[in-house]
Amino acid sequence: MSNASATHPNPERSSQPLVSVRDVSMVFNTGGAQTIALQNASLEVAAGEFISLIGPSGCGKTTLLRLLADLIQPTSGSIRIGGKTPEEARKSRAYGYVFQAPVLYEWRTVLANVMLPLEVMNFPAAERKQRAEKMLALVGLEKFAKHYPWQLSGGMQQRVSIARALSFDPQLLFMDEPFGALDEITRENLNLELLRLWRETGKTVIFVTHSIPEAVFLSTRVVVMTPRPGKIETIIPADLPQPRNFETRETPRFFEVATAVRESLRKGHGFEVVE
Amino acid sequence: MAQNSASPAQKPGPLRTFLGSETARWLLFATVSVGAWEVWARWYNAPFLLPAPSRILGEFAKSPTLVLTNGWVTTQEILAGFVLGSLIALLAAMLLLVLPKLVEDFIFRAVITLNSIPFVALASLVVVWLGVNGIGSKVAIAALYAFFALVYHAHKAMASTDVLKEEVLTSYNSTFIQRLRFLKLPSALPIIFTSLKGAAMAAVNGAIVGELFGAFQGLGFMILDSRYVGNTARVFLAAVFCTFVGWLLLGVLAVLERRFVGWHLEMTRQA
Ligand SMILES: Nc1ncnc2c1ncn2[C@@H]1O[C@H](COP(=O)(O)OP(=O)(O)OP(=O)(O)O)[C@@H](O)[C@H]1O
Ligand SMILES: [Mg+2]
Repeated sequence: MSNASATHPNPERSSQPLVSVRDVSMVFNTGGAQTIALQNASLEVAAGEFISLIGPSGCGKTTLLRLLADLIQPTSGSIRIGGKTPEEARKSRAYGYVFQAPVLYEWRTVLANVMLPLEVMNFPAAERKQRAEKMLALVGLEKFAKHYPWQLSGGMQQRVSIARALSFDPQLLFMDEPFGALDEITRENLNLELLRLWRETGKTVIFVTHSIPEAVFLSTRVVVMTPRPGKIETIIPADLPQPRNFETRETPRFFEVATAVRESLRKGHGFEVVE
Repeated sequence: MAQNSASPAQKPGPLRTFLGSETARWLLFATVSVGAWEVWARWYNAPFLLPAPSRILGEFAKSPTLVLTNGWVTTQEILAGFVLGSLIALLAAMLLLVLPKLVEDFIFRAVITLNSIPFVALASLVVVWLGVNGIGSKVAIAALYAFFALVYHAHKAMASTDVLKEEVLTSYNSTFIQRLRFLKLPSALPIIFTSLKGAAMAAVNGAIVGELFGAFQGLGFMILDSRYVGNTARVFLAAVFCTFVGWLLLGVLAVLERRFVGWHLEMTRQA
């Protein structure tokens, strides 16, 4: 966390990782059966990095985020966030979490939903409104502030939940398939918005996606995971120049990294690697 | 109809709006049923058994103060009992959320046991304990009825909030009071309002039952007294007045419901 305001994060240089996962396993016991959702996972994330988790359904991506967020506790292994335990980090409100489902409160308007964390954290009333409106504008929903969540489409609800997680400006962001329910154009737009926010604020992002191009386009590193038992297969650096823009997707390096991710994923699925 | 506010439907004229309204349908219902009652009672011609509405109205005209003074006493008992019983039930429901599981379990068994004692027996005991004079014992019985109508559902609704919605608050490191305020209470409100309507009806019953067991005033007392002297029309008059008080209470609750859980009525297309 040497320099949070750096516009060009350089992960190699920071000595102590912001997030460190050491040998973490998570076993769920459900009705006699055991599910190894995560086995001996290790990962270090430097401050200012943008990490994508990618892998087939059920490989433990959500489980890993929930462990980091102290919503569940690991069966074994240790996790540190900025030197603290996940519980201490949660209690100091160190992270924002975009859940895989929008999970909005249906009795609150869209604006009030975005203000929820700010109310819990006792922000002054005027600032709550101002921040929430700004975040709604960021995700392109300023016109829907007075609607209720159930009056919005699934993709719009997901954008509200992104605005809610960003509203209190956490330095660390956990995002579980935040753009999964969006159309291609909105998704590309929000990708760029997220990258801009990340660059300008020096946030650290851990991001789950099923899309290879999205992972490569956004990330500094891509973590490829495999299922049954859930494991971290490989960690692939996405060493494309910053800032990224529409041309990034056309460069030969982009295709090389994407291909590396794809081959690693195919291995996890048990498919032969095509030469 | 629950129309999305973004796409307002064609507004119907004022007459059509009125005809489709709740008030108009109640008026229609009242006219038809009271009319049928009048015709039936006149044809049957046994006012001691079934007095016609006109005869009941005549009874009211003879001495309006009788039903009004007694009615006012009962109304006070119902309102005080309802408010008291509901408040205690809501507080108890919240308290049960924080008590250790073992204590919660114990109290719940106590509530269920009390609930299975015939209410009439409880009511007669309360009169023995709190006395016949004044409205105290009647308020207590109405409150007891209202309490039991509400406490179980209110607690269940607040105890069974969506786990994912709880996790959102956990991730903000919220306090228990905040979870109650931002999640448990608002998400339970639709069920609480439905139960409050039941509690209102229960309070009406409780007040009348209390008065039947021991009172020198009130509608329940008036019903007993009128029956002794064989004035069936006056029994009906007291019952009708009682119904009006109940309706009034339900009406107030419906307004509050629309105000506080309008979102739910709209979401479930009840609005
Ligand atoms: N609370 C739980 N109880 C029991 N098993 C669980 C629980 N949560 C997750 N699992 C199991 O752990 C495994 C990993 O689940 P997880 O939700 O982390 O997958 P995922 O990688 O996020 O998948 P997806 O891409 O479909 O979201 C699955 O086999 C799942 O059944
Ligand atoms: Mg998942």
